[in-house]
Amino acid sequence: MTTSFKDRNLLAVIGDEDSITGLLLAGIGHIDEKHEKNFLIVDSKTQISTIENAFERFTERQDIAILLINQHIAEKIRPMVDRYQNAFPALLEIPSKDHPYDPSKDSVLKRVQKLFGE
Amino acid sequence: MEALFFNVSTGFLEGILRGYKAGLLTQGHYSNLTQCETLEDFRTQLSTTDYGNFLANEPSPISTSTIAEKATQVLVDQFNFLRTNAVEPLSKFLDYITYAYMIDNVVLLITGTLHERDTHELLERCHPLGVFDTLPALCVASNVEELYHTALVETPLASYFRECLSAADLDALNIEIIRNTLYKAYLEDFYNFCASLGSPTSDIMHRILSFEADRRVINITINSFGPDLSKERRAKLFPTIGRLFPEGNNNLARADDVEQVRAAVEYVPEYRSFFETSTQSSGQSNGNPDGYEDHGLASHLEDRFFAQEVHLNKLAFLQQFSYAVFYSYVKLKEQEIRSLTWIAECIAQNNRERIGEYIGTF
Amino acid sequence: MSGTGPRESIFPTRMALTNTKTRLKGAQTGHSLLAKKRDALTTRFRAILRKVDEAKRKMGRVMQLASFSLAEVTYATGDISYLVQEQAKTATFRVKAKQENVSGVILPAFEVDRVSGTDFNLTGLGRGGQQVLKAKEVYAKAVETLVELASLQTAFTILDEVIRATNRRVNAIEHVVIPRLENTVKYILSELDEMDREEFFRLKKVQGKKKRDADKAEAARMIEAGDGDETSIEADTKEESTEQAGNLLNDRDEDVIF
Repeated sequence: MTTSFKDRNLLAVIGDEDSITGLLLAGIGHIDEKHEKNFLIVDSKTQISTIENAFERFTERQDIAILLINQHIAEKIRPMVDRYQNAFPALLEIPSKDHPYDPSKDSVLKRVQKLFGE
Repeated sequence: MEALFFNVSTGFLEGILRGYKAGLLTQGHYSNLTQCETLEDFRTQLSTTDYGNFLANEPSPISTSTIAEKATQVLVDQFNFLRTNAVEPLSKFLDYITYAYMIDNVVLLITGTLHERDTHELLERCHPLGVFDTLPALCVASNVEELYHTALVETPLASYFRECLSAADLDALNIEIIRNTLYKAYLEDFYNFCASLGSPTSDIMHRILSFEADRRVINITINSFGPDLSKERRAKLFPTIGRLFPEGNNNLARADDVEQVRAAVEYVPEYRSFFETSTQSSGQSNGNPDGYEDHGLASHLEDRFFAQEVHLNKLAFLQQFSYAVFYSYVKLKEQEIRSLTWIAECIAQNNRERIGEYIGTF
Repeated sequence: MSGTGPRESIFPTRMALTNTKTRLKGAQTGHSLLAKKRDALTTRFRAILRKVDEAKRKMGRVMQLASFSLAEVTYATGDISYLVQEQAKTATFRVKAKQENVSGVILPAFEVDRVSGTDFNLTGLGRGGQQVLKAKEVYAKAVETLVELASLQTAFTILDEVIRATNRRVNAIEHVVIPRLENTVKYILSELDEMDREEFFRLKKVQGKKKRDADKAEAARMIEAGDGDETSIEADTKEESTEQAGNLLNDRDEDVIF
């Protein structure tokens, strides 16, 4: 649990093109020496397996502190997202331009709601 | 004298074009569109206009980018019809219009090549107006050196490349500098070409192109206050045409803040008014609660530029026997697509307060 | 008695009793401490829950604002997404983790760590640069909100975990450890009592034997004074002593049977 989160200082994103563009503008983009990107652009042609792979890769990387994922994309790999319970990297579902945020789908909020006994 | 023979070769196309122009959305259309609650309504509204059923085959949760794409396709189809039916020198003139888009496309490919991406998938991102037969050939190039030579051989932009850039430049310079260098060369070339067409085309086009050049000069200046672009480099990006050239350009090349930009463009009444009104309205424009005073001014400036461009292009239609109408139509249509996208975006994102910030054409 | 409930396998000695009592005391203190910790954590947890809920909703709005600013960029310059993707090199927007201590639980909190980057400074040079700049700022703000939310969420996840662990411990101590120690104490006490009784009985027996020995010695002395049948009396004494031993054993057996 107390793995060295000191080294984790990057953000990673799985999202649609618009979200990624915006987030990259904010400056979170990072491509390391091995040409490993910290973002994955998902469009209608992207395979589910590609998303799953990226999700696994990002959650296993040791330098990522926060993983952002568009909610509608999280929806595609929902079982995997719901299974993910680790504290690091923190998983955050974010809304996208075409898909407004729906709190009832969020895996964390679901747990919150359960704890509140609703 | 021109007028005598103009209709022999161009009369038909001009007729078609003026027909197209009549199909541009009017203020009434726009106000209907802004009333839409959802993008579905939006689509229904549009189907009563000249766009017809261009969105009919799209699956239902329609995205704004699809709207933009399809609308652009309408423009491209119209343009291609004109282009295929055109004869010299109009065909050449139409080609010149496409060069601007070509520059963007080629720059896109350069970016891809620089980062060692598979450039083939970039082809579909290219602006359809700027697609030319040999564009895919550029994808073959695997490094920048090759790309440069291919660009020299294969593209209509060869002369701009040759004059302004070397192969090494492609690698070393920021991609935006390359783009603007090419664009500057293009504007100057287009300007000269228009001069060769004689009056009235040259008159109208010079007015429009001068404005375009000035707009770029001002924009480049405003966007390069930081240390990222040296003053000499900045000056090199300025087209050597336009109403600000040469004196205003020189002043702008040295400008360090908006105030100096304002001073530099003072002597052109239209431009002065851009800055005057924009400072006033930036105070009122606090529609967004976060208060981007500085940006407010600049984005209003951008809006004013668009408005002025539309105004100039509308004027072009007042003149008969000129090629300028073709250019103006493309620009107006482009603006219309932008406005449509903006309205669609506002509807999609439920941002009603700013839905009125489009720039209508007629 | 000692047979009820589980207890530790331990020799019922006074030493062990003292030890076990100390341990019981320790367990009780630990229990109350852990319970306090759990309460503290739960209070904190509730607060965070509320914040998470709030922040998640806020994020919805912030992100909407941000994507709208991107729409402005698209309006002014057209599609810049590819350029932006390709020009991204090193992250200028990073996070730093710092720690916060809540009742012994280390909660990481992310802090925004921005360096001014030059990655996209010239994007939109020809036109729309200002919009790009604005979008950058708006998005950076949005990401800040996201980072804040991520901190909360991480705290939430960790606290959740820790509270569960603490709960487990509290319950374990309350329902397993303490009863067991109590049983052990009871067992040792009863066992010690038992031993006391035995000891008492044994002492009595010994006393009785000693008395008899003394009587016999007295008698022997008397006989010695008579100097007649010395040996026969001696044999008699021996016989009696073995019988005594047998009796002792019998006593013990009886006790065990009882």
